[in-house]
Amino acid sequence: MTTIPYDRAMAKARTRWLNDAAGRHDAAAGLLLLDTVAAIGFAGAVAGGISAIVGDTTILPWVLLAASMGMVRGTLAMTAARRGADRAVRAKRTVRRHVIVAGFARRPGDAVDAGVLAAQVVDAVEALDGYIARFLPARRAATVAPLVVLAIIACGSWVAALILAGTLIPFIAAMALAGGAAAEESRRQFVALTRLSGRFADRIRTLPVVLAFRAKDRETAAIGAAAAELASRTLRVLRVAFLSSAALEFFAALSVALVAVYCGFSVLGLLPFAAPETLTLAQAFFVLALAPEFYAPMRRLAATYHDRQAAETAADVLMTLPAPIRAAAAPNPAVQAGAPLELCDVTIRYPDCDRPAVSRLWLRVEAGETVALLGPSGSGKTSILHLLLGLAPLSGGSMTADGHPIMSLAGMASWAGQHPLLIAGTVRDNLLLANPQAQPSAVQKAVAAVGLDVMLKARAGGLDTILDARGSGLSGGERRRIALARALLKPAPFLLLDEPTAHLDTTGEAAMIAAISRAACGRTTLIATHSPALAAIATRVIRLGGIT
Amino acid sequence: MLLAAERRTERHRLAQAAICAGLVAAASVLLLGLSGWFVTAAAIAASTGTVAAQAFNYMLPSAGIRLLAITRTGARYGERLAGHAAAFGALARLRPALYRAIAAAPPAVALAFGRGEATSRLIGDVDAIELRFVRLSGPWGATAALTCGAALTVLGGVAAAGATLACAGGALWIGHLLANRLEQPGRAVQHATGALREEVAMLCSATAELRCYALEDWAAARIMTASDVLADAQRQQAAVAGWFDLLHATAIGLAAALVLALSASAGAPVAALATLAAAMTIDGIAPVLRGLAERGRLHEAETRLEAVFAAKPDRIPASIPFDRFAPLVIDGCQLLPTARLVLTGVSGSGKTTLVEGLLGLRALAPGRASIGGVDIGDVSPAMLRSVFAWAPQDAALLAGTVRDNLRIADPAATDDRLWQALADAALEAVVGALPHGLDTWLGDDGARLSGGERRRLSLARAYLADAPWLLLDEAGEGLDAATEARVARLLDARLTRAGQGLILVSHRPALAGLCTLRLAVGLAAQAGVDIDTTAHLPTCAAGPARPKGRGPS
Repeated sequence: MTTIPYDRAMAKARTRWLNDAAGRHDAAAGLLLLDTVAAIGFAGAVAGGISAIVGDTTILPWVLLAASMGMVRGTLAMTAARRGADRAVRAKRTVRRHVIVAGFARRPGDAVDAGVLAAQVVDAVEALDGYIARFLPARRAATVAPLVVLAIIACGSWVAALILAGTLIPFIAAMALAGGAAAEESRRQFVALTRLSGRFADRIRTLPVVLAFRAKDRETAAIGAAAAELASRTLRVLRVAFLSSAALEFFAALSVALVAVYCGFSVLGLLPFAAPETLTLAQAFFVLALAPEFYAPMRRLAATYHDRQAAETAADVLMTLPAPIRAAAAPNPAVQAGAPLELCDVTIRYPDCDRPAVSRLWLRVEAGETVALLGPSGSGKTSILHLLLGLAPLSGGSMTADGHPIMSLAGMASWAGQHPLLIAGTVRDNLLLANPQAQPSAVQKAVAAVGLDVMLKARAGGLDTILDARGSGLSGGERRRIALARALLKPAPFLLLDEPTAHLDTTGEAAMIAAISRAACGRTTLIATHSPALAAIATRVIRLGGIT
Repeated sequence: MLLAAERRTERHRLAQAAICAGLVAAASVLLLGLSGWFVTAAAIAASTGTVAAQAFNYMLPSAGIRLLAITRTGARYGERLAGHAAAFGALARLRPALYRAIAAAPPAVALAFGRGEATSRLIGDVDAIELRFVRLSGPWGATAALTCGAALTVLGGVAAAGATLACAGGALWIGHLLANRLEQPGRAVQHATGALREEVAMLCSATAELRCYALEDWAAARIMTASDVLADAQRQQAAVAGWFDLLHATAIGLAAALVLALSASAGAPVAALATLAAAMTIDGIAPVLRGLAERGRLHEAETRLEAVFAAKPDRIPASIPFDRFAPLVIDGCQLLPTARLVLTGVSGSGKTTLVEGLLGLRALAPGRASIGGVDIGDVSPAMLRSVFAWAPQDAALLAGTVRDNLRIADPAATDDRLWQALADAALEAVVGALPHGLDTWLGDDGARLSGGERRRLSLARAYLADAPWLLLDEAGEGLDAATEARVARLLDARLTRAGQGLILVSHRPALAGLCTLRLAVGLAAQAGVDIDTTAHLPTCAAGPARPKGRGPS
């Protein structure tokens, strides 16, 4: 397991990001503060009741007060929990939208893997939940509530307040000693645990390979060894990490014990020093009953440490997401339908890559041409198509249409690739994605042009055949025909095709090539392919070099 | 069952956690009760006169208070440590056991766990078990709190003790009812999370189309709709969960108030003791109440994991002995060792199904394939897999280093052997240029490599396995013609050198050119147009709809 370095500036930035993500403060922390006020009422009620027994007066009002304060505390806690959850839901919605928009409108070249993005959009965003719903309100309340309790206790007995405040100093020192280093260490451990889960998930995903190579027992042993090693390491860390919570526990218990002993000795007049104040039973008891409330907000905060760790781990991922770029999708200075497209000395270099995907490419495409980009895998065919859509970075050179520099052809191009987008709905719904206004006759024409009519005739529903999101029941060729028909529905002068015949057998490929050559008619078409048969229909073939 | 076994294995640590939890709860109840009694009794002694005050035994109670404070701290530390140690210990055994169980399940069941949603659910379930182990000490703490609470409040009268226990029992009963009400929103949250995950995965893999058709906002809106469904379910869940907070605090207030009223006649010091003890007793059952709020989720997780362990291979084939170098018969086509066969057929005709069937990754109809006269359905999967070295269609790679990926085929392979396999897959230069060579981390599913490089690494992996047959599924896909030709040339040399046979699925001419036989799979034989690159090869045996007499077989 690689080490995860600690970086103070990073920790600060992370906290700032999390607080921004949480958004506007709401009532949850205030409600927790009111809960402390109700706790004061409860302590007062019990103290009043005990005094009433001693004074032989009626205790009923105190009994009712104690019961109702309990209910008030419960109502406040419940409302705080719901408000916290509401706030978390709102904050997660904002962050999720941001992640999605950043994913779709990303800087050209920030390659985003669908699985990674799904993990960010779902899991990382969900990990913020506890932080916003519980940790933040608890932390705000923990900064104020102990002071309120202290002030009220001081009204009853200023010495008791002094004792409580006195326990706070060694407590803070202990937290600083045990907390800082151990918190960071346990956060690293948390990340390591997450990675262990990741490894387990990976070996489940690749189970066919593990089984086929008879590595089942070896992988099982490896998973067991990694888990056991991490468990023993985590326990060593927890031994220290739990010390901080033990310190909290110790001072919480000690403060109650000290206040009890002080109050007892004070009312007995047995203090070994001159009594600085005279306590009545009611005062002494009130102070005692309230003493546990001094550390209660901090204990509540400590209970949310797991929420905090999960959110910080997620924040490390989410905060580094690039700001969304909308320019790529914006329309360019009007590109004339008949404009020639020119790539001059173009270089595409993805961040974190040693060598450019495309280096110093010169390409001029006249209107109506069909150009095949043929080359070894890794020679940058798909990168060039992505560059035209603003999905790959233009690291050098220029891209112009009719002499005007352009960012992207997105508004002017149609696309069909290896893995077409399919949504749950009818075939018609899927086709109309490209152009919701398309006339039924246009749909029929597109369907016929790509040879999809044969397939639709074989299905009872025709264009209204329902597909599920996985496109179950469609062959690879049929999916690609849907994508191609969809591309034709958009009256766009450019047609971009990314390996439209990969994984098809020769018969399927021949039929697909015929469909493509019909579709390319009247459009400027760029095809990235390995297939010489497909390249044969192009008016021009560009061979891209590359290292293999 | 397995969880029960883990509980037995970890019983020492769990017992330690339970004892510590009991000590924590008992010390909490006693600490506040004793403090209340001490302060009140001291005040009364003081008010009756100096003599009484001097006679008051303050040493014992004050020492007791300090002792309890220290006990509570130490016990809490011990509880958390022992509880987590038990959980980690159990999980360190449970993870590999779970993996073994999944790997041993019938292929259809086992491979279903590999899909995104199923995997993440499984991971969530394992985490839930960890939480479950940490929480196991809760009931012991609650029991100790109730015992101590009953013992202290009974000093204020039987009614006071009864009221305390009634409040605790009532809280637990209502908590139980609330837990039932939480099950439905809990399931809704899980379902909505799965739906969101699928929506995101589907739309994020189509960025180019979204960009072209200006569908990005539409896609974002679709994802946000799924997200809002999840948010609604979570709000409902939080609304029900909030009742637990109300329940807990109300029960404390009610118990304290009732005990105060009922123990008043026992005198102020005892009333103080009983009242504070009652409040702390209810506080002591809080871990159990929290556990109830999670009960449905943990229970479902446990049930699902138990089901994984319960899944038994439906039919363990009798180990009929056979010679793994014996002739192979597929769809009536007999293959002698070192034969080279290409499987043809339109996409969807079942070539990959056949390949996976040969590997025992899915069931094949009886009679479709046999080895040395034994139907492969009667051969144990482990034996079967020693016959074939496979390069899968998706070229799936492990999250790990180049070495991890290669060693899975031959754990004892020397570096020389690994480099030789890489050289034979035309990947030596690529791996040589990686920053840490064989030890370069490739990321999830070989993210660091290009599609063609991943495929060649998968090929090198197959080369390393010791098996009489190479089973290559779409091995040439994503390779340019020059690389493909090189791979084919190296493969030819390797097959000759190793005396291995080849079963190939490929539409690519260069690789198919190595083969001397072809077999049409499924409906392929009916396909009208025959412009196949393998058309010149002799057809092996008669496919289901193929006229006889065209192949030598």
